[in-house]
Amino acid sequence: MLPPQTRCVFHGHTTVDRTIVVEKLVKRYGELRAVDGISFSVAPGTIFGLLGRNGAGKTTTLECCIGIGKPTSGTIRVLGLDPTRAGDLARLRPRIGVQLQATSLPEKANVREVLELYAAYYRIAPRAEEMAGRVGLDGKLDRQIAQMSGGEQQRLALALALQHEPDVLFLDEPTAGMDAFGRRILWNEVERLRDAGKTIVLTTHYIEEAERRSDRVCIIQRGAIVAEAGPADLIARYGGDASVTVVADGFVPGAALRGLGTWTKTGAEWKLATRGEPGLALAAVVTDANAAGAKIASLDMHRPTLEDAFIAITGETLGEGETE
Amino acid sequence: MTLLRMFLVQTKMHFVWYFRRDGEMMFWTLAMPVFFLVLFSFAFSDSGTSRASAFLVPGIIGAQVLSSGFWGVGVMLATFREKHLLRRIYVTPMPPWIFFASLVVYRMALLAIQALLLIAAGALLFHVRITGNPVEIVLILLLGTATFVSLGTIIGALARTTESANNVASILTVPLAFLSDAYVPIDRFPHAVSGALRMLPSTQFIETFRDVAVGGQPLARYGVWLLLLVLWTIAGTTISARTFRWV
Repeated sequence: MLPPQTRCVFHGHTTVDRTIVVEKLVKRYGELRAVDGISFSVAPGTIFGLLGRNGAGKTTTLECCIGIGKPTSGTIRVLGLDPTRAGDLARLRPRIGVQLQATSLPEKANVREVLELYAAYYRIAPRAEEMAGRVGLDGKLDRQIAQMSGGEQQRLALALALQHEPDVLFLDEPTAGMDAFGRRILWNEVERLRDAGKTIVLTTHYIEEAERRSDRVCIIQRGAIVAEAGPADLIARYGGDASVTVVADGFVPGAALRGLGTWTKTGAEWKLATRGEPGLALAAVVTDANAAGAKIASLDMHRPTLEDAFIAITGETLGEGETE
Repeated sequence: MTLLRMFLVQTKMHFVWYFRRDGEMMFWTLAMPVFFLVLFSFAFSDSGTSRASAFLVPGIIGAQVLSSGFWGVGVMLATFREKHLLRRIYVTPMPPWIFFASLVVYRMALLAIQALLLIAAGALLFHVRITGNPVEIVLILLLGTATFVSLGTIIGALARTTESANNVASILTVPLAFLSDAYVPIDRFPHAVSGALRMLPSTQFIETFRDVAVGGQPLARYGVWLLLLVLWTIAGTTISARTFRWV
């Protein structure tokens, strides 16, 4: 059990100061409760990451927010609008940008045509060349979808989500199958939007990206939220101790080093578990070892990551079951 | 203005993506019907190729209207859904009717090309003369297209996969082409059979179209059948609208 303050609770925020409010969302497919009572809210100017294994309910939650899935029960507000009501959804659509996981574009369409068609959908002036440039597809405007790599198609899908400058951006596994180049482009665009005060909701099972790029992380397990906070807070609360391990002939931690945390010895290896800054502890170990004339054979430092916190919270690793 | 632009761009893209850049599609919609016209005109030429061809030109155009509705719209929609194109479009602000209208107009444009090609082939090769009132010809073609597009959309709405949509479309299109007076004169069947076949909307549409286009009949003579086609269209549209799924 987690302490109550870390559970994601709807804090009674009004829809005025929150871009998205999801309350007690349930989505059932027959017997299966894909989403089982999820509540969260997202402040404007936030990159909000839904983190969890495949099948945890991330995509279903996101699809309910954009009107694709109809919730079994619960309420959703996006920009104060209810995506389950046709009239609200019609007003919401021009203001959101969406990149779906399983989007396939018509094979015989080329980049320019798709961008121009979507410009027409959103009633904005065509800006195909500019958008292609922004997602690294400059010079590929006449390339047909069938001749593009998966990563290029993903970047085009991103351009389609961004072209009309949405207030809220929904991205479902946007970096899945993307190379480093594509990821850099994606995160640049996402952070630029955030810095302009827009809101981004994304699902991911890449934990390092969630840690580095999200302002808030919401961990979903079996259709329920098990933790929600800033990545640094989650790590501080659940990531456990930082550690420094050292192997050095004749090294024994002195009184000053013992004050930094708990030392254990396994074979020739000394290990310090500390709540403090591991970098400082590491420096102190080096100084001590040098003063004692102990020759350092190996030295290592581990700072807790979001992955440590994830494992502590869910009792699972994220790596498994990545075949979707 | 912006809605008009949305409609025009979408229609143009349907045409470019699914016809102009699709060699297979061009073959099936342009070459095959003309090939059938020539083949069957000779096959049924016991009372002259010209008479057979005068029967076949409107018949094949009518059969193209049927397959346009069942394949061109019905199966197409199921494919769009299966490839997740529909759900992507659903989250954009494009009104659904724009999408459907553009799909129908694209198929109508294609049908116009097919009809002109068949009429030209009939005239040049077999001296078939289209004697009917052009306005009435266009009217009955539009009504037939509306009927079979609306019925085809039911396939697109209800079929779970492209494969099942394909199966349903084949089961409907192929027999109907032969039982609706399109390729084979149903008057050669026993009277009871041809009478029963004249209850099919496909037969009513094709015979009306043929009698108006090459038989010198006024469209007004077929009031009851026209009314029935309108009713089929209303039923098809209602069922499609109620059952259509975007995801």
